[in-house]
Parts: sequence; C-alpha cells; structure tokens
Amino acid sequence: MGIFKLTIFIILIGGLIPFATYKNFSLMKILSVLFISLGSLMGVIDSLFKLNNKEIYNVTYKLSDIFIVALSINNLTKFFMIIIYLISFFSVIYSFHYLNDSSKALRTALSYFLYSLLIISMIFVVSANNIITFIFSWEVMSLTSYFLVIYNYEDFETIKSGYIYLIFTHIGAMFIYSAFGIMFAYTNSLNFINLSLIPLNIKTLIFILSFIGFASKAGLFPLHIWLPYAHPAAPSHISAIMSGVMIKMGIYGILKIYTMLEFNSIITGYTVLAFGVISGVLGVVYALGQSDLKKLLAYHSVENIGIIITGIGIGMIGQYEKNFAMALFGFTGAILHTLNHSIFKSLLFFGAGSVIHNTKNRSIEQMGGLLKNMKVSGLTFLVGSLAITGLPMFNGFISELIIYFGSFQGLKQLPLTQFASIIAIISLAVVGGLALACFTKVIGVAFLGEPRNDNTSNAKESGIFMLIPMIGLSLICLTIGVFPKYFIKIALYGTETLFLNSIDFHINDYFNFSTSITNISLLFFLILTILFTLKYFCYKTKKIHNTSTWSCGFSKPTTRMQYTDFSYAFSIIKFYKPFVLFKSDYKKIDKIFPNKIEYHLEYLDIAEKYIIQNIAKFLDLFFEKLRWIQHGNIHIYIGYILIVLIILLLLI
Amino acid sequence: MKSLILFLTLIVLAPLFSAIMLKIKAFFAGKKGIPLLINYYTLIKLIQKTSVYSISTSQIFQVGYLITLATTLTSLLFLPFSGLPPLLSFNGDIIFVLYLMSLGKFFTLISAMDTGSSFEGLGASREAFFSFLAESAFFMVIISFFWFDEKLSIASYFMANNKINVWNNYNFPLPLVGISLFLILLTENSRVPIDDPATHLELTMIHEVMILDHSGPALAFIYINSYLKLLFFSSFLTLLLFPRFGLDNKWNIASFYITLICIYISIGITESIMARFKLNKVPKFLVITFSLATFATIIIMGFAR
Repeated sequence: MGIFKLTIFIILIGGLIPFATYKNFSLMKILSVLFISLGSLMGVIDSLFKLNNKEIYNVTYKLSDIFIVALSINNLTKFFMIIIYLISFFSVIYSFHYLNDSSKALRTALSYFLYSLLIISMIFVVSANNIITFIFSWEVMSLTSYFLVIYNYEDFETIKSGYIYLIFTHIGAMFIYSAFGIMFAYTNSLNFINLSLIPLNIKTLIFILSFIGFASKAGLFPLHIWLPYAHPAAPSHISAIMSGVMIKMGIYGILKIYTMLEFNSIITGYTVLAFGVISGVLGVVYALGQSDLKKLLAYHSVENIGIIITGIGIGMIGQYEKNFAMALFGFTGAILHTLNHSIFKSLLFFGAGSVIHNTKNRSIEQMGGLLKNMKVSGLTFLVGSLAITGLPMFNGFISELIIYFGSFQGLKQLPLTQFASIIAIISLAVVGGLALACFTKVIGVAFLGEPRNDNTSNAKESGIFMLIPMIGLSLICLTIGVFPKYFIKIALYGTETLFLNSIDFHINDYFNFSTSITNISLLFFLILTILFTLKYFCYKTKKIHNTSTWSCGFSKPTTRMQYTDFSYAFSIIKFYKPFVLFKSDYKKIDKIFPNKIEYHLEYLDIAEKYIIQNIAKFLDLFFEKLRWIQHGNIHIYIGYILIVLIILLLLI
Repeated sequence: MKSLILFLTLIVLAPLFSAIMLKIKAFFAGKKGIPLLINYYTLIKLIQKTSVYSISTSQIFQVGYLITLATTLTSLLFLPFSGLPPLLSFNGDIIFVLYLMSLGKFFTLISAMDTGSSFEGLGASREAFFSFLAESAFFMVIISFFWFDEKLSIASYFMANNKINVWNNYNFPLPLVGISLFLILLTENSRVPIDDPATHLELTMIHEVMILDHSGPALAFIYINSYLKLLFFSSFLTLLLFPRFGLDNKWNIASFYITLICIYISIGITESIMARFKLNKVPKFLVITFSLATFATIIIMGFAR
C-alpha cells in the first residue's frame, strides 16, 4: 500500500507545482511533467508486480461518520490501474511540447493540476470499495475532465461540446446513483458487498440502471453522442486520456456491478451482446463518414467499446450456459481489448494531435502527403491504424481473435445462443472490414498522395517529446501483437476476478495459439526480409525514373483531382442507408452560363437525430409549460422557500 | 517433407494454372491463344526492366506490394494441400489467415492511394467495399464448417478423415458452401463478373486500376501475388471438393491436381460466358453469396449435426 500512496502523492505534487512556478513557463512544464510521469511510471511498475500475488488490499480511512474512504485493490483493479498509469505516463510527456503557448501559462498550470486530479480520481474510481468513495471520485473525474475539455474556452464550439459532455456524464451518473440507491435500500450498507442474495428482479433493475449509466460514460450506442463532440474539442493529450482511459471506467463499472450481483440471467447477456454489436457496427459506419480526424477517432471509440461490450456479452452468456471456455474467452478478450484499445487509441490521438498542431486544421480533406514531412508521426499513425483495424502482428488482432474464439464456442450451445454467436461473429467480421476501409481512407487521404493546401505542404514534424510517446506506444502495439502470451496472462489476472467461483486452469489449455502467433509472426518477418533482399537484387543495377502519376495521358494533374475521403466512403455508407441519414445541399445549375456550383454532403447520426427529435424536443415542450415558475420576482422566490420550509416542518 | 515439396511445386506452377484460364478464354473466343508459359515470360520480362515511380509517392508505395506478397505466401503455408499436413497450423489459424490477407489488402489499398491519382482512389474504394462483404461471407462459411469440426483450423477441416468434403455422405449442404466459396473466389481475385482483369478502361477497373503506377519488378511481384492469391482460394475450394481415396493414398495428389485445374477451367468458363456486372449490382451479388452461405449454415445446423 505504501507505494500506492506514494504514487498518488507524487502525481498530486506534479499537479500542484505549476501554481508555484507558472511564471516560468518551461520550468513549470518540466517539473510538472517530470513528477506526473514519474508517478505514473511507478504506478505501472507497482501494479504489474502486484498482479502476481492474488492478495486483496483493503484500506479504510474514516474522514467523518458518513464520509468513509474505503479502497480495495483486487486484480481487476490493478489491471485497470496499469491502463490508467500507462496512458497517463505517455500522455503527460506528450503534453510537454503540445501545450506550448506561453501566453496561456496560468491556464496550462491549471490544466496540469486538473490532469493530476483526473488521474487520481480514476485510480480511486477503480479502487473504491464503498458507494461514497465511488460517487465522490466519479464526480471529480467527470468535472475535471469537463474542465480539461474546455481548455480552449474562447471557442464557442468548445463550450458547446463541453456542455453536451457535461449533460451526458451527469445523466449517466444519475442512473448509476439510482442503482446505488436501490442497492443501499436492499442491503442497508454503503459498502460494495456481495449482492447475490437480493431478489432477481431487483438485481435486473440494478443491472439495467447501472448499465445505462456506465454505458453513457463508455460511449455505447445510442448514448455515445457526447464522444464526437468532446474529443475534437479537447486538447489531444486529453482526448487520448479520455478516449483511452476514462471511457474504460464505464467498462470497469459494468464488470464491477456484474461481479457484485453474481448475476446470471440470459436475457441481460443477450441484451448486452446486442448493444455491443450495434455499437460496433454503427460506430465504424459513422466513423467512415467523418472527415474531421478527431471526430472520426471518437466514432472509432464507439466501435471499440462495442467490441469490448460484445466480449462481455459473450462472457455473460457463457457464464450462464456454464460454458467455461466461452466465458473465459469472452471476458479475457474484452479485458485485453480494453488495454489494447487504450494503447492504440491514445497513439492515434497523439498522431492526430501532432498532425492538427502542424497543419492547423482538423479536416482530412485539407491534408495529404503528410508522410513525406512528418515521417515519425505518419509511421506511428500507420501502426496505430493497423492495430485498431485488428490486423495480425499488432495488438488489436489478439483481443479480437480471443473474442472470436468465445463467439465460436457459443455455437455449441442452444439455438438462441447459436444465433447470438453467429451475429457476434459476423458483426466482428463486418467491423473489421469497415475499419480497414476507414483507416485506409485516413492514411490514404491524409498521409499519402499530394498536399491539398499550403499549410499541409509546409507542415513540419512535431517536437521530440510529442514523438517519444508515439514511438513508445507503437512499440507496445507491436510487442503485444507479436508476443501476446505474457499480455494474455496479464489480462487473465483481471478475468479471474470476474469468475464467481475461483477457477484453476492452465493457460496453455486455452491460449496455446499465443506461442504459434509469435512463431508465425517471426516467420512472416523472415519472409518479408527475404522479399526485401530479392527486391534489392532486382533493382541493384538499375536506374529508377521519376515522373508524375499516370492520369490517362493527361499531363497536368492538380492536387484537387485526388480522390477525396467523401467519395472513398460514399458507396459503403450508402449500403447502410437506413442507419445513416444524408443531408445534402446542392445548388443546381440554373443559368446558361453557370456560376460556381456547390455540393455539400453531411452524414447524420441517427442516435443524435432521434434523441434530439424525440426526447429533447419532448422535454423542451414539457419544461416550456413550467416556465411560469421562473419569472424573476425575487419576493415570490422567497415565498417558494417559505412554502417548502413549511411543508418540510409539517412532514418531519 | 511431402508437404513442402507439394507447396513449392504449387507455388512454382501457380502462373501456369492462371495461364490455363487464358487458354480457356481463347478457346471460347475461337482463338488459338497464347502459349501456356506466357506468365513466366511476362514475369522474366518485367524483372529485367526498371521501374518508374510517381513523384507523388512515398516509401509506402515501394514496400506495400512486398508486404502484400509476404502475407499471401504466409497464408499459403497453412493449407493442407491434398490432405497432407500443412507446414503451419494452430487452432484459430483460419481467422489469422483471413486477417493476414486483410493486412495485405490494407497495403494494396494505401499503395494505391499513395499515388494521389483519382483512378486509383476509385479502385481502392471499390475494393474496400466489396472485400468487406466477401469477408463476411467467408466468415459465414467458417461458421458452417464449425458444425463438422469444432476447431478453427484449416488443417483440421481438411486433413485425413474426410470430415469436410462434398463426397462424404452426410455433407449434402456442402455444395452450397462450395458455390458460395467459388463466388468469394471470384470477388477476392477480381475476376469476371465482379471485375474484369482484361479491361482497358481505367474507370471500370477495380484491382487493375490500383496497380496502374507499378512497373518493372514491382509489377512482377504484384503479378506473383495475384497468382498466389488465386491459388490460395482455389486450393481452399479444391480441398472441399476433391474426391479422396482413403488415407495416405498417392492418388489423392493426382485427384487434388485435377480438381484444382478443373476449378481454374471453370473460372475461365465463367469469364468467357459472362459479362461483368454493373458496379451497383456487385453488392447485391455479394449479399447473395452471403445468403447462400447462411442458408447452408441453417441446413447444416438442422440436419448434419
């Protein structure tokens, strides 16, 4: 426990130092980054070492009669702590060159303080052992992240996005708190204790309420609307933390409630799976339609959360059906994908931040050819893309493969489960294929080809401290992809916590493919080397000519003739037409000598549209009717207070 | 050892098999046709030449095709040719192989986008679209196989005891799967009716347009890749279709070769008697492929258990 406290203390110092030193901008950044990264690194190493012993650490501090801080650190907690500290480590290093506007010194100082609070609050969320601690740290997490999102608060869009985020996070919190309320009513205890004895219908209610709440934090369809707003608005290292780590708190919450309830119900398993599948497919379809780089990545978070939830759903069904292998694969896949997603998604956000920082725009329509000037950012972004697409040799593949295994196990069960498994397998395949289309689009349009404007062609590589985290994370992606065995083991420590009765099995019984993948990956690299040698000999004595791209004999191509991201994705999105709404604006040619014509196409998110159209409009109408209560006359307001007091007096 | 020899022979013969297709097409057109060794001549000619790179391209363009070729070669190592044990195998390799092919596709697509040409973007977009549909159909095929063999390994599907083979008595839904696989083969290898490898208009091409800017040895590598990819898919189909004569029978190999050649011939016949589809009809074709595999799965779920 000592190192645990020390880690938090160091991170907190890293957050407080900037207030003392903000007059000297670089000193402030150096000290803050140093302390926070040191603390985070210690956290990663500490949690990694502690994973081995199955001991559960329990701590309680009694701050007052009601406010008791209770922490409990089990293996699942440690696993999530690794994720939090790891991404925090890279993210804070990245911020050193990213937050480089010395005129905003005080704001940057505040940002470091909030950053450290965010990290600490997330640590407390995953280790909380009573309702009070959990709610308190959950609120701190939500609020600090809100303030971090509105770093550029001069921009109206940023404020609006922050506001949307705030609303969603608090609606989600309301659901979670109501679930806790029911829990308290039935157990009369504020501690997170085993709830297996309460009636099944109450269990279901608690699970549904908390699932909605945590899903809105995790960004599951249709509660994902805040993600595509908040991520682009936030600074990139904050997007990385939010998308890589903070939304995983929702996943943690779902797993936590699931274990606490000892809950076995097939219907919820199917429901969770269905939400995962829908979220996965629609997330990637919407991502395809985006040309704002960070918005696109935000939708990919929806997709990956969908994959994780699919894994959890498979695990829950497996648990119910007493199919051990299915449950094991489902949960392990989901947990490993949580780690993997946090790694490659932060990598991609770092890359996006680096690109946006240097080209000064967010739309990939304006980019092009960035790989030539920004080699490191481009190549690391490529690694991230390969990983998120789930291609072999990279980490995303490993967790997706495990979830595939789990889904295939479901084919051995009853017909309904077979059907669910088939849906899961096909949707995973579809998600993989669409993600490939989406990231070939991003890489092809933004990083390859010719620059589409001057800002892009003059873009320079980012500072070294922005590149180090990207290189580090790419190497981790490759390491997990090629040597998955150790990482599967780490994920298994987390999975063990989820099983109701402790289990004993050997990793090789189920995960013997991991060594084969290592060997085959190495063989693949060997084949690649041989091919490179062959290529070298083919070209050894020859002179290579350079000319412009073949355009059917046309000799003066311009950069505007390149294929655009909209046309690249259009036919695929049209395939999903009922789920994607098109908004096009086309000024027709109406004169003999036509003026400049314009065509504007936008894809709308159905969740956003229908939530606004049905729920928000309805609420608006309802509250419109209550407008008369708020009229501005202070003496009547005082009258309200009086009336309430009288009523309360009568009641109590 | 036998497997290794078979693997190497097949790889060396792959261009010849593709030439058989051309011969068939020439026969249907009433022509004498090009010599059977034409593909080897083309490869030798290309390797002797040098390359022209577009000034728009980056290094991706120069390594993309090598990575694609490496993925196809690695995938081929997993196939149990003629029922003999494959060189590589593990539980889950079928998913690995499909994703490995996606890795190759990823690099083909981004190499195409690297040239900054509008034509190549067009081709890349189409390829991305059609291949994700074909891939889902392939996954449906794997699901249908799961009822015969509760493993996810190509070797265990097709090796030894005749589990998954159309000539087995209880496998009556398998011809449906076979048809579905044949249609997937046509899609993934950009054959008629999805794509015409012999077309001469850039706007209508899919795969050919993506490799427009490759030349010389690079193009040779790409051709080798396309021969091998076709070999992979047709061998996979052959393993499902070829009649076997008991365990470890040397006639197995002959039967394997004959079936393989028959599949190439049937691709040639398809190409000769059909015109390519309009592009907006291709998704429908692929959905039919998917439905066919689904239908087969349902029948297998019901009866063949």
